[in-house]
Amino acid sequence: MIWQNIKNAFLSIRSAKLRSALTAVGVMIGVFAVLVMVGVGDGVKAEIESQISNLGTNVLTITSGKLNQSASSSDPKEQKGSGINIASGIGTSTLTEDDVKTIENTPNVSRSAAFGIISSSVAKDQIVSNSAFVIATTPSYFDIRQLKTSQGSFFSADDNSGSKFVAVIGADTKQSLFGGEDPIGKSISLRGKQFRVLGVIEKSDAGVSLGANADDIVIIPINSAIKLTGKNDVFRVIAEVDSEKNIEKVKASLEQSIGSNHSGADDFSVLTQKELLTTFSSILDILTTFVVAIAAISLLVGGIGIMNIMLVTVSERTKEIGIRKAMGATFGNIMGQFLTESIIISLIGGVIGVLASYLAGMVIAKLANITPVYSPIALISALGASLFIGVVFGTAPAIKAARKHPIQALKSL
Amino acid sequence: MEKSKPEIVIELTKLAKRYDDEAGVYDALKKVELKVRAGEFLAVMGPSGSGKSTLMNIIGLLDRPTQGNYLLDGVDTNTLSDKDLAKLRRDRIGFIFQNFNLLPRLSIMQNVELPLIYQKIRTAERKRRVREVLSEVGILDKIDSKPNRVSGGQVQRAAIARALINKPSLILADEPTGNLDTKTGLGIMELLKKLNNDGVTIVLVTHNPELSHYASRIVEVRDGLLSEKEVRK
Repeated sequence: MIWQNIKNAFLSIRSAKLRSALTAVGVMIGVFAVLVMVGVGDGVKAEIESQISNLGTNVLTITSGKLNQSASSSDPKEQKGSGINIASGIGTSTLTEDDVKTIENTPNVSRSAAFGIISSSVAKDQIVSNSAFVIATTPSYFDIRQLKTSQGSFFSADDNSGSKFVAVIGADTKQSLFGGEDPIGKSISLRGKQFRVLGVIEKSDAGVSLGANADDIVIIPINSAIKLTGKNDVFRVIAEVDSEKNIEKVKASLEQSIGSNHSGADDFSVLTQKELLTTFSSILDILTTFVVAIAAISLLVGGIGIMNIMLVTVSERTKEIGIRKAMGATFGNIMGQFLTESIIISLIGGVIGVLASYLAGMVIAKLANITPVYSPIALISALGASLFIGVVFGTAPAIKAARKHPIQALKSL
Repeated sequence: MEKSKPEIVIELTKLAKRYDDEAGVYDALKKVELKVRAGEFLAVMGPSGSGKSTLMNIIGLLDRPTQGNYLLDGVDTNTLSDKDLAKLRRDRIGFIFQNFNLLPRLSIMQNVELPLIYQKIRTAERKRRVREVLSEVGILDKIDSKPNRVSGGQVQRAAIARALINKPSLILADEPTGNLDTKTGLGIMELLKKLNNDGVTIVLVTHNPELSHYASRIVEVRDGLLSEKEVRK
């Protein structure tokens, strides 16, 4: 019977190709929108996870503000008052020069790098770049971040201690300011001061993440930044621990020592790479859920389209229902027939939506430098959602068909 | 297994049908009594609006009486659910309609096998039986054609094949030649007569006296009342 219902559904779809196609498009758009949103969200997440993982598991990040991690804990007691304050780390930093020294002198910290963010455009002669991200740090930053130069070299400890106006630039910054020209030894301007370019950082695979392009960047010595701005605003410190097994011990030690620097104020965070990952993942999950919820509305609209068309179909095929009933079709037989039809239309829309989202993924990967990730669970859920839509929105028309009185149905035109 | 065929196929006792709607109250059938024996060819005659179609709908289990009893093959149909009535239609009754009522999207094969699908008969067996019955009504060569690709007479033969496919106790033919020319109509009546000679019970509704000559017994419905007209040997 199921096979017969499927055959009948395809016969019916074939006899009203355009109408069926337009109905399926509604579901297709819904599935497409949800899958692309989930795919892009998962793609960005995977990218950030990969970037953070590439830093190594023996790195701690000390940041201003409180990024509470207990939200991800499975222990309900730990979740009390938990949550992620996205605004943490924005605004005036609570980290100080004393904290940087404390971190440097903590046992088992092999090296550390404090860095600040300088608000400035970058210019070369008449060419101005407002997109470049300017950070001020120490030379160990390059080692901890495992950066490499494609041209020239990084600045040295002497450049930093001498507060020299030198800079290392990203590949995209070099392209926008210098084009094909060799930038080494040439000057760029930050807040009106000339900085000599020492090196160009090798182009990374990171692309754009969280609004910052890893290749559109200018890095200057931290002491030069203090000379330039007149203040030392430590945005974040990254610390490399000598061994992964000492991570928790060093984290506890830093929490205690920085806490005592801050007279017990709970206004900073010491995060392991895993915690940093969880923090970013949680933020992205919230954003993805929000966007997917909006996209899911189109699925709902697709479902209403199916219901509408199925009601029209039932009305048009009343005579057929009468004939089938005369031939012995039961309530269940008729209901099964029309329900199968709505499920098939919905599933066709779902399958095309999945294929279209794959194609869109390829286009997005090419144009936006983000590779959407389509997990098997997302694909199965998308097809499951199509099935669900077909069942939910096909049930009322199918019941209406099955309830028709045989005589009245036979008398209809 | 061979279906048991009781002597009396249809037994109506004080059967009445009242329509009560916006148009008012109307008694379409008034305490009708009727017995149809196995192997009979009964012609139900009467003018338009006399109640013969209502009688056919009730005998065909497409509608329920307001009062009275209807036994089909000895089964009291009043006690049955809609689902059980559908199963009885599927297993024991074959319908032939004036306007054929084949599904235009389906081929002759697919139309004829419809009752067997609802009986959950397997594909190979369905195909065998459809070929057999189409051969019997003389349109085996049209098995894969769509109804709109064959003549009116052939469509009605396909409808007869569909009515025969489930080996019913009873065939109900409602003006089966009404949409056919005289020659083709007579061909259809000859076919029905042949089936009756083979033992199939037939109830024919018609207002055409010419066709009633094929029947072994004639009853007339007039103003909701049924009367015996003629019994032939």
